[in-house]
Amino acid sequence: MSKSHDETNGKHDPSRRSFLKGVGIAGAGAAVVDRIWVEVEAKEEQPAAPETLSGNVKVVLDVNGGKVPVEVEPRTTLLNALRNHAEPALTGPKLVCDVGTCGACTVLLDGKPAYSCLVLAVDAASRKITTVEGLGTPENLSVVQSAFIEKDGLMCGFCTPGFVTTISAYLKKNPNPTLAEVQEACKGNFCRCGTYPRVFEAALAAAKSGRV
Amino acid sequence: MQQQQPAKPKKKIKVVRPVNGIDQEVEIEVDADSGPGWGPNDKHTLLNHPWPRVDGPLKVSGAAHYTYDMRPKGMLFARILRCPHAHAKVTKFDSSAAEKMPGIAAVIQGPLTELRYAGAPVAAVAAKTPELADDALRAIVVTYEVLPHVVHAQKAAEPDAPKVVAEEQNLQQKAKAGDLAKVEAAFATADAIVEAEYISARIHHACLETHGVVVDYSGGETATVYASTQGTFTIPKDAATQLGLKESDVTSVVQHMGGGFGSKFGIGVEGMFACKLSKQTKTPVKLMLTRQDEFVMAGNRSGAWQKIKAGVKNDGTLVALQARQYRLGGVGQGSQAGQPYIYRAGDFYREIYALHTNEDATVAMRAPGHPEASFAMESLMDELAYKIKMDPMEFRKKNLRDPVYHRQLDRGAKAIGWERRNPVPGGNPGVLKRGMGCAVGTWGGGGNDACKVDVTIGRDGSVLVSVGTQDLGTGTRTFTRAVVAEELGLQISDIKEEIGNSKLGGANDSGGSTTAASLSPSVKDGAYKARMLFAERVASLFDNAKPEELTFTNGNVSGKGKTISWKQACAALPSAGVTGHGVWRQDLQASGIHGASFAEVEVDTETGHVKPIRMVHVQDGGLPLNRLTMESQINGGMIQALGMALWEGRVMDEKLGVQLNPGLGDYKIPGSLEIPEMIPIIDDDDKREVVIGIAEGCIIPALGAVVNAVFNACGVRVRETPLTPDKILMGLMNA
Repeated sequence: MSKSHDETNGKHDPSRRSFLKGVGIAGAGAAVVDRIWVEVEAKEEQPAAPETLSGNVKVVLDVNGGKVPVEVEPRTTLLNALRNHAEPALTGPKLVCDVGTCGACTVLLDGKPAYSCLVLAVDAASRKITTVEGLGTPENLSVVQSAFIEKDGLMCGFCTPGFVTTISAYLKKNPNPTLAEVQEACKGNFCRCGTYPRVFEAALAAAKSGRV
Repeated sequence: MQQQQPAKPKKKIKVVRPVNGIDQEVEIEVDADSGPGWGPNDKHTLLNHPWPRVDGPLKVSGAAHYTYDMRPKGMLFARILRCPHAHAKVTKFDSSAAEKMPGIAAVIQGPLTELRYAGAPVAAVAAKTPELADDALRAIVVTYEVLPHVVHAQKAAEPDAPKVVAEEQNLQQKAKAGDLAKVEAAFATADAIVEAEYISARIHHACLETHGVVVDYSGGETATVYASTQGTFTIPKDAATQLGLKESDVTSVVQHMGGGFGSKFGIGVEGMFACKLSKQTKTPVKLMLTRQDEFVMAGNRSGAWQKIKAGVKNDGTLVALQARQYRLGGVGQGSQAGQPYIYRAGDFYREIYALHTNEDATVAMRAPGHPEASFAMESLMDELAYKIKMDPMEFRKKNLRDPVYHRQLDRGAKAIGWERRNPVPGGNPGVLKRGMGCAVGTWGGGGNDACKVDVTIGRDGSVLVSVGTQDLGTGTRTFTRAVVAEELGLQISDIKEEIGNSKLGGANDSGGSTTAASLSPSVKDGAYKARMLFAERVASLFDNAKPEELTFTNGNVSGKGKTISWKQACAALPSAGVTGHGVWRQDLQASGIHGASFAEVEVDTETGHVKPIRMVHVQDGGLPLNRLTMESQINGGMIQALGMALWEGRVMDEKLGVQLNPGLGDYKIPGSLEIPEMIPIIDDDDKREVVIGIAEGCIIPALGAVVNAVFNACGVRVRETPLTPDKILMGLMNA
């Protein structure tokens, strides 16, 4: 581990994830994590030293205000836990690159955007997770979601959950951004259809409404 | 003897069609019971207006379910094992260890024993989780006999190059046209000649949703195949063959799909593996390609290598053009439109070759072969214009017969501020130099008669339009509703659509920009027929008015001085409602579009970095069905062209024969920081009352416009895409 538990203040360090994914040996999927939140240990004291997890681990995720129990391997990403293990599946976050380059899997961890393909599910158990489904529903859309529709900030829509999540978090931080600031905020999200100009318009329109 | 169907009564009508690039009135035959045409483009209530897409609420909230999101109960996750060598034979395949691993349900070997590119599929596994499937891939032991390879196109053309296919030449002539002797004579009359070589990189579709299928089959007689495809109806037959089922017992479902750009037709090798695994395990199987799979084995846009010589008179007349064009299609055929592309040259001669390398086969990508041809031709036109000191825009007009281009160039020039352009390349002072370029393009975009559309009006006032077509993000769902609502005088929200299912009425694949021109006439026909049936049924409410006497506006039905609300009128329908069966009407669509692109860029002459400042694209397309989504699509065309011009290109390691940038971190698609001011312009001077597809037309010319803007900015002519800083710095150094 390059960073200790204290240095990262208990937060997940995404740079370790590719290493952890790589250490899975045939069927075992053993991995070392610096902090765990598994059901059985939940009542016990926090382990002081890093602990080795292997096999399947039961984890309860806090997603969109509800408890989501999943049984995953230590190497399973938060993205795969939500998509492949949660019942019902949470498929708003999309799997596009799986290596933290495209932003389609963006979720909020304690309110901050994060690539869920770079976070292990076992590391996310202590965090408040918000997916795009938690920002608004088709019947009750958020201001940002409505602005995306109004400005046509989407075509095929596969990148859209990521953009919506990123921008929703950014406007909380900066409710009055310039175009350049919106572009900067979106630099971790890729779109292939070419919706960018209208994604920017949507973000600016949502901000202008003053209701974010 | 086969029964003859009575011939349908026909009538002749006059429509506007481009003939040799010029719009002319021609007579065509249509069914006599066809309804009226679309009417003038500016007289619609819904069509030709901006409407937010109807699937927006689902897509912005994560509630839209794509193929990738499907998870039938008990589903297995499949992964593909790829060949690591550019050319090899499988001599031994041992999956015994993999098969014994926990959670592994099946391993199957692919049909190929000789693999001709790095990334070729060798085998597939199905496991309880994707992580376990990855483990199993690592446990398969394959022994290869490694064979010589070649991935560099120019080297593949050399006589002693390793052969991609043992019994075939790497270089094969595919076509030739024109008269060589005449061209040689014409060159003698030219005042100026430019001879140049242009190379365009292979481009990846990089669809955000990778290729793949979810096969929902658990044994038994029927299966449902969810597919990320541009053709709902390209799936059932091949899936059924692999599953050993009847075609009619396999249903394909495509509710939403995450980008195709020409690359997604049929079940593909991934679908073949998924069906076989599902059949073997009697369990649902998901096989979505990984991102790396997608780069190395899902196809890409053809590369191009073009040697062109052109001669021009001092007055700007292009008198002669000779071209030698190589399609770089890897193990496939590649594609490339013939030169002089859309321009008129006094005399021309061209030879087109396919040049094979050990790379995966190219597949169609948004206007296959056209941006490649356009890049070379528009670069060449620019070089000629500068050589004879003529404005590049005027030079183009001189060599374009069709007046539509002239008006579009004028419109685009005004929008970008062409008058601000410094005619001297690199002539602006300072380190950061701005410049402008332009280019023009064309496309077909006509439809066909594949769509069978049902429009059902219910007694409760509901309206359902059903057809098996697919929405790629182009707005198909939205215009399908809008066409029906326009016909019935309702709102878009009053209509429901069901699409993306092979059990619904037939529809064409979304390729060649044919969807809008195939589907919208059929939808209108279905809506018109439903309206006529409806009118017959409710005639008694309107003093027995004839169907054509009833008008449908603002949610009301009127006739013989009476007006009744839509809902009230519907209450008079029989319990099953009425259904109109729509078929294609040739007179409601056409083929032949034009576009003109302009770009302004800023080149940092110290770093070679190009910053796009502004892009304009003027596009005609007859009747715009939805202005909002059409403008989005024009933006998308420009942005994808921008990527091709400045950043995108597959990079191969010659020695190893592998791709060096098979991921979104290394293969650079346009990102938010690079997006310039975008000005999409719908050419409303196009008064044709017909629907034409525009998706492909609007990607073609922007590439040349950007490349030419770079030259105007810094005086460096880069003849190989993408225009990365190294090439620009090299040019500045040699200037």
